[in-house]
Amino acid sequence: MKPIRLIFLSFFVLTIAPAYAEDGSLLSGETMNYIGYGAIMLALITLVVAMYVVLKAFRVVAKILLGPEGLEEKKVDKVVLKADKKAARAERINKMFSLKPLSEEKTILIEHDYDGIQELDNPTPAWFMYLFYVTIAFGIGYLLIYHVFGVGQLQDAEYRTEMAVAAKQKAAFLAKSANKVDENTVKLTTDASVLAAGKSIFQERCAACHGNNGQGMVGPNLTDDYWLHGNKISDVFKTIEYGVQSKGMPTWESQLTPKQISDVANYVKSLHGSNPANPKEPQGTKMADNDGSASDKEAKAKTAMVVK
Amino acid sequence: MQPDKFYYDNKIVRNFGIATVIWGIIGMLVGLIVAIQLYKPEMNMHNQYTTFGRVRPLHTNAVIFAFVGNAIFMGIYYSLQRLMKARMFSDVLSKIHFWGWQLIIVSAVITLPLGLTTSHEYAELEWPIDILITIVWVVFGINMFGTIIKRRERHIYVAVWFYIATFVTIAVLHIVNSIELPVGFFKSYMVFAGVQDALVQWWYGHNAVAFFLTTPYLGMMYYFLPKMANRPIYSYKLSILHFWALIFIYIWAGPHHLLYTTLPGWAQSLGVVFSIMLIAPSWGGMINGLLTLRGAWDKVRDDVTLKFMVVGLTAYGMATFEGPMLSLKQVNAIGHFTDWIIAHVHVGALGWNGFLTFAILYWLIPRIYKTELYSKKAASFHFWIGTLGILFYAIPMYWAGFTQGLMLKEFTPEGMLKYPNFLETTMRILPMHVMRSVGGAMYLTGVIVMAYNLYKTAVQGKLVANEAAEAMPLAKLNPEAGTERWHRRLERKPVLFLIASLVVILIGTFIELMPTLTISSNIPTIASVKPYSPLELQGRDLYIREGCSNCHSQTIRPFRSETERYGEYSKAGEFVYDHPFLWGSKRTGPDLQREGGKYGNSWHYNHLMDPRLMSPGSIMPSYDWLITQKLDTTTTGAKIRGMQKLGVPYPAGYDKIANQELDKQAKGIADNLAKDHIKVKSNKEIVAIIAYLQRLGTDIKAGKTANN
Repeated sequence: MKPIRLIFLSFFVLTIAPAYAEDGSLLSGETMNYIGYGAIMLALITLVVAMYVVLKAFRVVAKILLGPEGLEEKKVDKVVLKADKKAARAERINKMFSLKPLSEEKTILIEHDYDGIQELDNPTPAWFMYLFYVTIAFGIGYLLIYHVFGVGQLQDAEYRTEMAVAAKQKAAFLAKSANKVDENTVKLTTDASVLAAGKSIFQERCAACHGNNGQGMVGPNLTDDYWLHGNKISDVFKTIEYGVQSKGMPTWESQLTPKQISDVANYVKSLHGSNPANPKEPQGTKMADNDGSASDKEAKAKTAMVVK
Repeated sequence: MQPDKFYYDNKIVRNFGIATVIWGIIGMLVGLIVAIQLYKPEMNMHNQYTTFGRVRPLHTNAVIFAFVGNAIFMGIYYSLQRLMKARMFSDVLSKIHFWGWQLIIVSAVITLPLGLTTSHEYAELEWPIDILITIVWVVFGINMFGTIIKRRERHIYVAVWFYIATFVTIAVLHIVNSIELPVGFFKSYMVFAGVQDALVQWWYGHNAVAFFLTTPYLGMMYYFLPKMANRPIYSYKLSILHFWALIFIYIWAGPHHLLYTTLPGWAQSLGVVFSIMLIAPSWGGMINGLLTLRGAWDKVRDDVTLKFMVVGLTAYGMATFEGPMLSLKQVNAIGHFTDWIIAHVHVGALGWNGFLTFAILYWLIPRIYKTELYSKKAASFHFWIGTLGILFYAIPMYWAGFTQGLMLKEFTPEGMLKYPNFLETTMRILPMHVMRSVGGAMYLTGVIVMAYNLYKTAVQGKLVANEAAEAMPLAKLNPEAGTERWHRRLERKPVLFLIASLVVILIGTFIELMPTLTISSNIPTIASVKPYSPLELQGRDLYIREGCSNCHSQTIRPFRSETERYGEYSKAGEFVYDHPFLWGSKRTGPDLQREGGKYGNSWHYNHLMDPRLMSPGSIMPSYDWLITQKLDTTTTGAKIRGMQKLGVPYPAGYDKIANQELDKQAKGIADNLAKDHIKVKSNKEIVAIIAYLQRLGTDIKAGKTANN
């Protein structure tokens, strides 16, 4: 039963391949990718080989079980059976495709030949003509529906419908969830889980421009005392949510949920004064840590309200 | 009456055959290299001339026009002589045709890696080569029609109908799609812009598939299949019906490449319905072929050429069913721009064109060398590895296409895109890309084995360069001829046949193209859309040179998943100064139509220098040569004058001051980059391309649609 196991194994490997591509916590992503590729190749090749081996094995087993004569007998039986079946099948196929039996072919052979090639005067198969008529009917119907009766929606209308439906669904979902937070209700927190969530988003989305430790690269340094767009938690939230078009800061409104923006804003605030290596020179105006002055306790109490 | 004695020209057939095999191997090898570049960008050998955007068109041109093109001429020159019972009209024209065609291909091999391209897919070659193509095509036409005129066979056989349709339609397509205004020896601008240019291009692109990859091959199938199987063609009536239906309907279907773009809705719908109506006429060819094999299926088991034919016809049937399904807009919404399309075209190209070509080569080479095939075993190996290669190619690509298409459309319950980062979806399908390159390598291996097999066959035989034949000269027309059915009468009037085919293909052409090209209300204008600045124009030409549109589209479809990801969907009026349009047809990377202002200049600088700096894991090649190469500003004046001729409203005399404007804008960008500690001279190419990228899609933010 080895081949069957192999087949199962190969399917298993195939289905988990995407996971290889995604998660590389132990090995580097690239190495995992290569292992994934290798596994897929190997599995496919094994599958082909296994099928071939099974086929050969069946032949050998049949020979051993039936003996050489038995095999021959079976074969003869099979041939006879096959011929009968074949004739029956041919007739069925002829009927299905409205074909003339081959034996009557001479009556419809067109006399002329081109470099030895002859043609038969078969009618176009009926089912073929039906297929053609059905597609033509579809075509006429389609044009009527979309352009005469105006039943079908053309792309602009279709888009408006799609957006309206999405807005409804979104509103319904948000009404039920605790996800509602905006620049007016966002609260500062040092809650570890919030900061951890914020950090992972930061690494994924922000680090490319602001540096892994917020030291600034293309984007400004986020750890010093200088701020371009305000240093209050609500300011940071707003900057992330709407972006700063002119300076190349993208808007994240449509890519991060309000909760995620709040997390990452808090993480940014937590970076203040962390003095990372290679800091970018200060940009903007020096600001006092105004809403950070609230005591930790107070902040925690506020957070509880935000998160829950 | 004595029969005429004459000789068939086999040498020209042999020459086209050799060219087919050599270009086939080269074209497929380039294909393999670009396929590997899609997961290993370093495979561009850190060289601009071998980078994806420039060599992907080389792959498509080489396999379509070099491999398939030469195979068509091989098949036509062999079968036409025998069907007309006449030698080719002129040996000199045959030679000019052969060497002219090879010259075109060689010039493609030189110019495409240099980045000399019109950016029109499958018509990338620049205007001097376009003219050469026209001349060689006319030579081919004269040679073919000369042969038909001096024929010794009264009626022309169905294979030749297809050859005639091929000749006349390709001529029309090539000329209309190449209407361009030269602004330099190897630079031109398309006369049409935006939506109009897109419509012309896909009318061409779709029908290049129809009349270069389909009709000549159907013609060859009608000659070689009955020859190989020694069976009569199943139905003459079906031949007539599917020939006329096919060429009439095919020409309308082009707009299905532009669904959900800014092409007017009525044109899109015509594209959809004619694609659906195309199923039966396309299948007509497959049915007539497969039913011709009735009573010969036992031969298929032993004869490798017939095996190739059967798989080829089946692949044709699959591809011509899938095509119409993909043009239904609900399916298209998922499949378009993804690897699904790549899988679809390769089932057609590898299965139908490739396998039919191999079958014909295996059948024909031993015959003109008066010998047997060197190794049947090797041919059989070729068949199996080729078939497996197609499966290993197509299945992963379908898988990748579905996966990415669906991932890009997925939303979270919060109403956010589940995969806001395009790159995430790309990374997910990379293993599939690895597998398809394995499939491609298998297919190529088969072709190399075939080349060796055919070489050995040729060596063991001797070419019959001039094959003796005899046939009765055409007798006076039988008085009974007047009572023939109408189509039978048409079959003995080749010039009338040519005109009839021309009229049939022009009907769809006119009805679809004319309104969009002439009625201005089909393209609502937008007041705030202004011509490109000289620097942006130069940057745009760099974008074309590097072939960015091979991987990045510039058209946002009206879907929630696209407007959330990319911004406001595209409006027809935004493209009115786009000579040529750059909508692209594949999103290996994200859409760029609203790229302007999304990131800072320094982001673009770093990203072009090495995309992995800004997007870890990206498969985009590094474009570091843009940083070192100086922008050629000597062409600015000519380009502005060219655009003015095409109706782009630059003020009079602007060409004289264009370079001053260009310098000013470039300095601004260089200064802005300097603020981020990036030192770059303002005269480098990268500045121009950044200027263009930052302009993309920003115009409508400045004002509202005039004609909503």
